Amino acid sequence: MPENSSYMIAAYIVVAAVLVGYAILLYRRTLKP
Amino acid sequence: MKLLKSGRWITLVGFALLAAVYVRALAFTPVERTQGMAQKIFYLHLPAAIWTEGAMILVGVASIFFLFLKDQRIDRFAEATAEVGLVFGMLVLTTGPIWGKPIWGTWWTWDARLTLTLLLFLMYVGYLLLRGAVTDPGLRARYAAVLGICGMCLVPFVHLSVYMFRTLHPQPIVIKPSAPSLPGEMLATLGFSFLVFTVLGVGFVIQRYGLSLLRDEAEPHA
Repeated sequence: MPENSSYMIAAYIVVAAVLVGYAILLYRRTLKP
Repeated sequence: MKLLKSGRWITLVGFALLAAVYVRALAFTPVERTQGMAQKIFYLHLPAAIWTEGAMILVGVASIFFLFLKDQRIDRFAEATAEVGLVFGMLVLTTGPIWGKPIWGTWWTWDARLTLTLLLFLMYVGYLLLRGAVTDPGLRARYAAVLGICGMCLVPFVHLSVYMFRTLHPQPIVIKPSAPSLPGEMLATLGFSFLVFTVLGVGFVIQRYGLSLLRDEAEPHA
């Protein structure tokens, strides 16, 4: 595995998780405003 | 509601494009020689940082207009933009330390840029807490507008902190008076990522605005 890959993978996962999490949060809030 | 549906579609398109950013950044953009793969965090960190600062400027400008025009739509826009700015701020404050650890040898240091970015994030938190704490809608909008303008005044200090103080954080390599100091392929990936973050931000703001509209319609006096 190339050097520093684990940090990069962690950052990419965190970004996806935060953005998808917020999108889900918004969707759930529309169900019960 | 049409607004919420449009927001959802734009967000979905944003996520599809985000997947394309991941593929482009990981497979079709050269690896930087000194930092290795960790440098690729840059393609997510910088667009998030630009929109963390940009969203606060939008909140501040909307707040100024609100204080003059007293239009609820502007207040709703400021509220929606602040929440999305908070999410982008969260991305900056997580990707930054993850990038900093392999390059600087530390997750966090209290240098001017990092500390002021944290302060900007706390401004967003304070802004949203204030909105939640004040029940009177008129007062809430007015107090929030004042805080939004204060937050906007912080943005130039965040951006220029790397010039004003000696910091561990590097100086801007894209948003600066001279031409960007990045090879073409990296700049193209960064530009694409910035565009995708913009699409996601617009989708989120539209959805959040729609939610505020629903809330205001459900409580006509609120």
